[in-house]
Amino acid sequence: MVQMNRVQAVKTVLWSILGLTAAVGLTRFIFGLGATTNLSDATPWGLWIGFDVLSGVALAAGGFVITALFYVMRREEFHDFVKPAVLTAFLGYIAVVVGLLFDLGLPWNIWHMIIFWNPHSPLFEVGWCVMLYTTVLLLEFSPVPLEEFSRYAKIRTFLMKFRFPLILLGIMLSTLHQSSLGSLFLIMPFKLHPLWYSNILPVQFFVSAVALGFMMVIFESLVSHWLYIKDSETERIAKLGFIAAWVLFVYFLLRIGDIAFSGELGMIFTGTWEANLFIVEMLISVILPFIIFVVPRLRYNRKLQWVGSIMVVFGMVFNRINVGGLTMIRATGDIYLPSWMEIIVSMGVVSGAVLVFMFAIEKFHIWEERPRHPESNPYAPAAFDRSSGAWLGSPLLAASTRYSLAFVFAFAVGFALIPDNKIHSEGMDDIPVTRARGADTLFVDGNLNNFGVAFDHKKHEELTREGQACATCHHMNIPLDKNSGCWECHKKMFTVTDVFNHDWHASAGGAAIACDECHTPGQQRRAESAKNCEDCHRDLRVENTPIEVKAYLAPSYTDALHDICVACHLKKAVELADKPDLGLCPTCHGGETPENRRELYKYGQAARSLKPVVLPQVKKPE
Amino acid sequence: MSLAILTDVTKCIGCLECVAACKKENNLNMDVPREWQKMDGLSARNWTSVLHKPDNHNIRKQCRHCLEPACASACPVGALHTTPEGAVVYDNSKCLGCRYCMMACPYGIPRYDWDESVPYVRKCILCYDRIKEGKQPACTEACPTQATIFGKREDLIKVAHQRIKENPDLYINKVWGEHEIGGTSVLYISDIDLGFLSYQPELGTKALPRTTAPAMNAVPFAFVGMGAVMYGINWVIKRRMNNGQETGKEGNDGTDE
Repeated sequence: MVQMNRVQAVKTVLWSILGLTAAVGLTRFIFGLGATTNLSDATPWGLWIGFDVLSGVALAAGGFVITALFYVMRREEFHDFVKPAVLTAFLGYIAVVVGLLFDLGLPWNIWHMIIFWNPHSPLFEVGWCVMLYTTVLLLEFSPVPLEEFSRYAKIRTFLMKFRFPLILLGIMLSTLHQSSLGSLFLIMPFKLHPLWYSNILPVQFFVSAVALGFMMVIFESLVSHWLYIKDSETERIAKLGFIAAWVLFVYFLLRIGDIAFSGELGMIFTGTWEANLFIVEMLISVILPFIIFVVPRLRYNRKLQWVGSIMVVFGMVFNRINVGGLTMIRATGDIYLPSWMEIIVSMGVVSGAVLVFMFAIEKFHIWEERPRHPESNPYAPAAFDRSSGAWLGSPLLAASTRYSLAFVFAFAVGFALIPDNKIHSEGMDDIPVTRARGADTLFVDGNLNNFGVAFDHKKHEELTREGQACATCHHMNIPLDKNSGCWECHKKMFTVTDVFNHDWHASAGGAAIACDECHTPGQQRRAESAKNCEDCHRDLRVENTPIEVKAYLAPSYTDALHDICVACHLKKAVELADKPDLGLCPTCHGGETPENRRELYKYGQAARSLKPVVLPQVKKPE
Repeated sequence: MSLAILTDVTKCIGCLECVAACKKENNLNMDVPREWQKMDGLSARNWTSVLHKPDNHNIRKQCRHCLEPACASACPVGALHTTPEGAVVYDNSKCLGCRYCMMACPYGIPRYDWDESVPYVRKCILCYDRIKEGKQPACTEACPTQATIFGKREDLIKVAHQRIKENPDLYINKVWGEHEIGGTSVLYISDIDLGFLSYQPELGTKALPRTTAPAMNAVPFAFVGMGAVMYGINWVIKRRMNNGQETGKEGNDGTDE
C-alpha cells in the first residue's frame, strides 16, 4: 500500500465517519427520530442537544474570547491564535446548526423563529443570537479566503474597515447566547438536580464558556500542530492557559458559592451517584486543569498542556450533558443511552467541521507559514499499489480516491448496520400461502406453526370483481409482499389488540412487578426482551392449543374464539354422546365438509407436512 | 372567562369512557406500546389516561392547562399558546420540533410522534373546538359518574372547596391546581396525595415562566453592558498605549496585518 502520512490517515477516518453519518442521516429523515434515536417522551433531549448544541456552542467560544483578548485588550502576543480561533468558531457554529437540523422534528421550519416571535423563550433568544453571530463570524473570517482572490480586494478592504465593530458585536452576541443556553434550564427546577440547578445558571454557563473557549484554542492549536508536524507555541499556550486557569477559578467560585448559598454543600458528599458525578465533573473540568495551568513548572510542560486542555474540553462537555439531561434521571426515572446512530451523527458533524478546518488550513493564509500540502508531497514514492498492482495516479488523485472509497464503503456499512426492526414499527408479518394460483382451496398457515386453515380461493376470486381483480390481494407493487394477509379485509377477526396494560403491571398499585422480573436484565427493555404472558398467567391458554400469545398482544377475536370454543367443543363432544357433531368444524363453519378437508390434508402432507387440527374420533350414535 | 375541568378522584370508577371519548373526538389511532412511551398511559395517541392506584383509586391524567404554562413560555415560535378560554393549544404550522415544551412541562405531559417523519407535539387541547362552540369537552361529557366535570374555573374551585367542606374526613384539604405553579385549569380533589402526577411532589406556587423571566429581562442590559465594558476597556488600553508610544515605548495600532 501507499504510505499514508498523518494527515491523510486522519482524513480517511473522518471521511469514513461522514459516510456512516450520511447513511444514518438519510434513515433519520425518512423514518423519523424514533427509528434512529433512543429519545423518548421522558427524555426528549438527548445527545444531539447535549453534545451538538449545548457543548458545540460552548466549544466554539474560542472565537469571541480570543478576539476580545487580541482586539479589545490588545494582547499582541496572541496574534497567531486569532485566525484559527475565529475559523474554529465559525465552523463550530455551522456544526451546531447542522446538528440541530438532525435533532429538530421539523427542521425545514427552523426559519420560523425569524417570523414567529416569542421573546419570553430563552430558546428564541439563543436561536436569534446564533443566527446573527454565525453571520458576524462569516464576515469576521471572510477576509482570509478573500485574500486569495485579488478581484475581491475591494470587498475585503470594505470588510476590514468594519472589523472592530464586528468583533465588538460578536462579543456582545456571544455573551447573550452563551448565557441564555443556561437560561434554557431555569424553567426546569423540578427536573434538574439541585447541584446543577441554580438561579445563576446563565452566568455559570457564560463564565465556563469563556474558560472553555481559551482551552479550546489551546487544544485546537496542539492538535493542528501535531497533525501538520509543526513546533507548537508552548510559551504562548502557557500564557493563555494561565488566563484560562483564573477564569476557571471564578467559575469554581460561582458553582460552589451558589451551592453554599442555597445551603446544599452537604449534598456533595452524600455519595449518591449524582454527588459523585458532581465531584468527577468538578475535578476534570476545573480543579485539575486549574492546578496544571497555575503552577509555572507544570504549565510549560507540553504533555501537561495536552492533558489539561483535554480535561477541560471533556469536563465542560460533561457539564453540558449533565445539565442537558443526565442529572434529570432522578426526576424522570428514565435512563437514556444514546443509540449508536446518534453517536455517529454527532461524530460526523464534528468530522465534517474538522475536514473543512483542514481544508482551510491548507488552502488559506491562516498560519504565518502554510503547511506543506499533505497530498502533493514531491518526495512521496510513486502511487503504485504493490499489493494489487494498480496504478493509483498522482498522489493527489490517489488520496482523493482513498477518501471517496472510505466514504462510500462506510455509507454502505452504515446502511447494513441499521436494524430493520428499529426502522419499521412492529406490524403484521406477511402471511405465506402454500399453493400457487388457480387453486380452489388453499391451505394457509398464518402462524407458521404447521396448523393450516382452509382458504376458499375460488370464492374469494369470485368476490373480487368477478375474478378479475387479483391485485386486491396480490398487489405486486410492494416489495417482498406476496399477498395481503386475511386480516387486511377481515380486520375484525384477525387484528390483535394491545390490551396488555403495561402501566398496571409495573405500577406499585397494580401488579407491582419490578422491570427486571419481566424484562431480561441488561437488555433494552422492549416487548421482545420481556417474558411472555403465559410465563406468569399459566391458565391463559388451554393445553395443546395451536394459538400463540405474542409478547404483549392479545390473540385476535378469531384466534381467541378458536381457542376458547374449540377446546370446550371437543371436550363436550366426548362427554355428550348424543351431540357428536360438536367437535366437527362444519358444525359451525357450514362451508367446510369433511371431504374437502381430507383432500386438503392430503395436499398439505405432500407439500409441507402441514398438520390440520386433529379432532378426536367421535362415534356417531347408531 | 376561564374554563376548567375538576376531577374528583373519589368518584372515578376507572371505566376509561373518557379515554375512549377523547380518542374518538380527536381521531386518534390505536396505540401500540413502543419503547419511547412513558408508563403513565399517555402517548401521542392517548391524550388522557387513567392511572390505577391501590384501594380502587383511579386518577385521570391529562394536560393541566396551566394559567401560566411553562410549555408556552418555552416555545421559541409560540406554537403552544393559551387561549382566552384557558385552554393551552398547539399550532402545528408554527412548530419546528425542538421539544423544549416537553422538557419544560413540570408534569411531563406533551408527547411526540417519534415514529413519524413529520412529527408533531401531541397533548390534550381541552377539546378547544368544542368549548369554543359552548359545548363541553368529550371526556367530561362521557363520564358516567360525574367524576370529571367541566365549568368556569371560579365555580369549580367553589364546588371543590364545598365538597371538601362537606366531607372533611374523606378528602385531603387541598385542591390540586388551585395555586400550584400559578394555578392550572385542570383541578383535582382527592383522598390520596397526587404529588406523583408531577416531577416533584410539591411544585410551589411560583409560575414557571417567572423563573426564566429575570434572565430574559436582563438580556438587553447584558448586551449593551458587555458592549460598553468592552469598548471602555479598549479605549483605556488604546489611550495607555498611545501615551506609551509618545514616551518611546513600543506600541500597537490595533490592526493585525
